[in-house]
Amino acid sequence: MVRVESLEKTYPGRRGAPPVKAVDRVSFQVPQGQLVGLLGPNGAGKTTIVKMMCGLIRPDAGQIFINGKDMVCRRTEALVDVSAVLEGNRNIYWRLTCRENLEFFAALKGRSPREIQPEIARYLDLFKLNDKADTEARKLSRGMQQKLATAVALIAQSRVVLLDEPTLGLDVQASLEIRELLKRIVQDEGRTVILTSHDMNVVQDTCERVIIINEGRIVADDSIEHLLDLFQVKVCRIVIGESLTPAQQQAIQALPQVLLEEENNGKIALTVPLEDAQVLHELFGILAANSTVICAIEQKQTSFERVFLEILGRSEHGA
Amino acid sequence: MRKKLILFWAFLKRQYVYFRRYLFNSLGGMLTLYVVFLLILGGYKGLVAPAGTEGDTLEALVVGYVLWFFLMTSYQDVYNTVRNESLTGTLEQLYMSTHGFGWVMGANVAAAFLANLVMVALLLTAALWTSGAVVNIDVGGLLPVLVGTLFGPVAIGFAAAGLALVFKRIDSYTQMVQFVLIALVAVPAEKAFWLRLLPGSFGASLVRDIMIRGQSLLEIGLAKLVLLFLIGIGHLALGYGVYKVCEKRAMVWGMLGHY
Repeated sequence: MVRVESLEKTYPGRRGAPPVKAVDRVSFQVPQGQLVGLLGPNGAGKTTIVKMMCGLIRPDAGQIFINGKDMVCRRTEALVDVSAVLEGNRNIYWRLTCRENLEFFAALKGRSPREIQPEIARYLDLFKLNDKADTEARKLSRGMQQKLATAVALIAQSRVVLLDEPTLGLDVQASLEIRELLKRIVQDEGRTVILTSHDMNVVQDTCERVIIINEGRIVADDSIEHLLDLFQVKVCRIVIGESLTPAQQQAIQALPQVLLEEENNGKIALTVPLEDAQVLHELFGILAANSTVICAIEQKQTSFERVFLEILGRSEHGA
Repeated sequence: MRKKLILFWAFLKRQYVYFRRYLFNSLGGMLTLYVVFLLILGGYKGLVAPAGTEGDTLEALVVGYVLWFFLMTSYQDVYNTVRNESLTGTLEQLYMSTHGFGWVMGANVAAAFLANLVMVALLLTAALWTSGAVVNIDVGGLLPVLVGTLFGPVAIGFAAAGLALVFKRIDSYTQMVQFVLIALVAVPAEKAFWLRLLPGSFGASLVRDIMIRGQSLLEIGLAKLVLLFLIGIGHLALGYGVYKVCEKRAMVWGMLGHY
């Protein structure tokens, strides 16, 4: 269980620059075995929050508890339950092999490399690095290096794993592989994984819950499903294959919230909100009156990207 | 204790792996050291930087150089580790060790010292065998003094590493440290008590007692040895204290792992 309470951080302004409020009264809890995404635009404060959770940045105020251990006051004790990948593939030693990296980082967490050989073999297998076990990390692809960095974080057997932008700079396939592995780790090992990303697809695909951060503040904390429901704009798009009469056009434009657009292929698209059935009935009445041919009726889906932008927009207006 | 040994062993193994991976460079370093020993054993005194202060017998020249070598490498093992790990992006991972960063660096320095000690012993033996020279060095007496003397440069290494955490690029200043170390080793610590408090100077003075005056560890006495270690621990506390102050500053500014 991770508990973050009223966390605040302001970076002092340097060389005459004003101070920067990076994290502003951030509070959240993550139960054991949950995969949570911290999502936000660049500079939102995600990395600062994660680094404070690792005890690498000192908060100005607030508390962080990792399985009940205070990360601010009893850092070394709390670190037993946390491991992290903060700089992606830079978090490993490029001149050491995959196996040597796993052994070295296990020793840093107090685990004897000799005793954890079966675990090393298991992670090499899980991350499909078996045939690269004795290859220097510098000779691996970026995706493989990222997988190794994640395996290194897992070998510590800490119950909380923090990943800062785990798929940044990876190609589509490598990104997908990492996402699948993360889901598997949470499912099979019951670990708590908190990842930061500014990539909506990564969070949507991987996390059951998302905490959206903007300008250092939490602006949404919910399941992705619920956020999508919340922001779902129920809209219907009707495509007409012939031109409308002036009287029809006038009548349609008089209807509230109906958007009339002429498409490049000569067809006309009408966007109608589904919430008000009366408007829809009236629209169909106008079209039926002239026996207008309808080519297609489709319901528009709201993407998570749009939900995210909507939340950010609202938070900025609110501020 | 077992966990600390695991940590020490991990760093020692990493030393060995790096030695193998950078084999060309490692062999170059070994060759240089071997040639230096040969030159010293051949009577060439120009290479023995801070020595001369240890006397000008063959043994004194060798010991003077070895002392200088360990002072420099001990300082560099601390400063360069922090600087390089920060540069490569792994410093924050060392900070996330459950041992605490102080122990991590301690294990790193101890492993590097042991590796250097083995290398110096092997190369000196090889140089002696090649040159046919014979030296009579009281290794048993010198080793504890050497260890006690190294706390000073380790402390300077911590202080410099701390400044590097805050100011990042300070290499132009840290290059001066080797000249400072030369001066400190040459300080006549036996002339005034306060001079003994300078890093490395009391240890160098005890080495002179052993090498020039032919004193054994017993003749030097336990009191002086304890004083050497107390001064060393004091230096270490001071240097580590400077490091912790700088580390706190870097953590407040959020730039611990930046370079």
